[in-house]
Amino acid sequence: MFCYNCGCQLSEHGFCTACGADVSLYKKIIAMSNRFYNDGLEKAGVRDLTGAINSLRQSLKFNKNNIEARNLLGLVYFETGEVVAALSEWVISKNMRPEKNIADDYINMLQSNASRLDAINQTIKKYNQALVYCNQDSKDLAMIQLKKVLSLNPKFIRAHQLLALLYMDSEQWDKAERELRKCMDIDRNNTQTLRYLKEVEMQLAPDENSKQPRRKKDDAVRYQSDNEIIIQPLNVKEQKSAGISSLINIAIGLVIGLAVMYFLVVPAAVSNANNEAQKTITDIGNQLDTKTSRIQELETQMEALQTENDTLNQELQGYVGTDGTLQTIDSLLAAATTYLETQDITQTAANLESISSSVDVDNTSEAFQKLYKTLLGLIGPQLSTQYYETGYNAYRSEDYATAIENLSKAVIYDETNKDAWLSLGNAYRKSDDAQNAIAAYDKIIELFPDTETARSAQRYRSQLAENTNTAQ
Amino acid sequence: MINFEEELKKFHPSLEVEDAEEAIYNQDLTDAADLLVKMIKETEEKEKK
Repeated sequence: MFCYNCGCQLSEHGFCTACGADVSLYKKIIAMSNRFYNDGLEKAGVRDLTGAINSLRQSLKFNKNNIEARNLLGLVYFETGEVVAALSEWVISKNMRPEKNIADDYINMLQSNASRLDAINQTIKKYNQALVYCNQDSKDLAMIQLKKVLSLNPKFIRAHQLLALLYMDSEQWDKAERELRKCMDIDRNNTQTLRYLKEVEMQLAPDENSKQPRRKKDDAVRYQSDNEIIIQPLNVKEQKSAGISSLINIAIGLVIGLAVMYFLVVPAAVSNANNEAQKTITDIGNQLDTKTSRIQELETQMEALQTENDTLNQELQGYVGTDGTLQTIDSLLAAATTYLETQDITQTAANLESISSSVDVDNTSEAFQKLYKTLLGLIGPQLSTQYYETGYNAYRSEDYATAIENLSKAVIYDETNKDAWLSLGNAYRKSDDAQNAIAAYDKIIELFPDTETARSAQRYRSQLAENTNTAQ
Repeated sequence: MINFEEELKKFHPSLEVEDAEEAIYNQDLTDAADLLVKMIKETEEKEKK
């Protein structure tokens, strides 16, 4: 013990031998602190941790420099699961006595194992979360959290107590008692634990006023297996006719089982099978409808293609001769050959007329048209002259039908043959075909304007128009 | 009969490791010996005056 005034070692006297300060009262305070420390140590020894905490805190109130008391207080806190409180005490202790302090070992023990420190912190967080759940009335979640907390830190007294309180609230008295017993194993004189335990024991104790008293302890054997309390009843006698009744019960059970199978399970299975079959039939029907419609569509397409094919075949037949070559081309080539070999314009003209009557020249190939028009250009004027002469002779002999036939050919083969046009118009006029006559005269006026022929045509046309109006 | 709500009020959140430093700094470490020394010193000062 050192003097508070000069720091010298104190003797048995009531004053400091170095500075003379009165230390009698100071010595009493230090003695009180030591006495509380001894009391705390004694209580911690018999696991009265609550009592130990109170005594050690008292000790430190008298003398904050009582390092042993502070270290022990930290140790007791640690034992009750209050790790942060323990760490705080040890850190203060180490600060007060940096050398030769066992608190140093305790701190190192915690700090050297980071995962353990992290697990401790997680435990605390979960406990706080459980407390939040309790306040939010989420008691089931709180219980789950507290069970996790206690699996990580089984000595956490407050968690045990809170879990017990939750069990008590849900009237799970056995479980509450089990938690409280665990508390008692850690801290035997915790007032809160004792108060809860008293309540639990009161609920579990036989109710004297109850009409149906609880089973006596002798009637059952209770033992604990892991976390479950197993209650095995004693003195339960089997009835003598138990064997027969068991057989009867089994038989009845079998009958009921078969009946259930027959009335419930079998119809359900049949119904399921029918449903499956119906579904399959429906699917097949749908597929059949789809395929039928597809077939009909294809048949329609086939009929259309067949019709088109027939038309084309018929058309082709018109072009193809007996030897299988295209008749029109053959005719054109024959006409060209005839003209080149014999210069026979009559035969060439007959061939060209045959071609023009069997095919629309404007729809043939370019080469075909070119050859056809070349031949026509070569023989056209001569033919036109021939037809004109024949037609004109017929006109003179008043055979207007023959005249019209030959003169029409004459203008076809040479459109510039204005005499043929005029004779044609006259032949129509003489045969009382005013419409064709006017058409012929119009053609002359269009093709050969400002000519004598055109003026004659105009004159005849005017006469015809006048006669037509007069007749109407 | 224990009242759950009342009992729940007695439970407080536990200090987390991150809060330890603050708890240490805020701890009142004044003891009876400090008070005695203070009283003695005050008495001596009064006597000197």
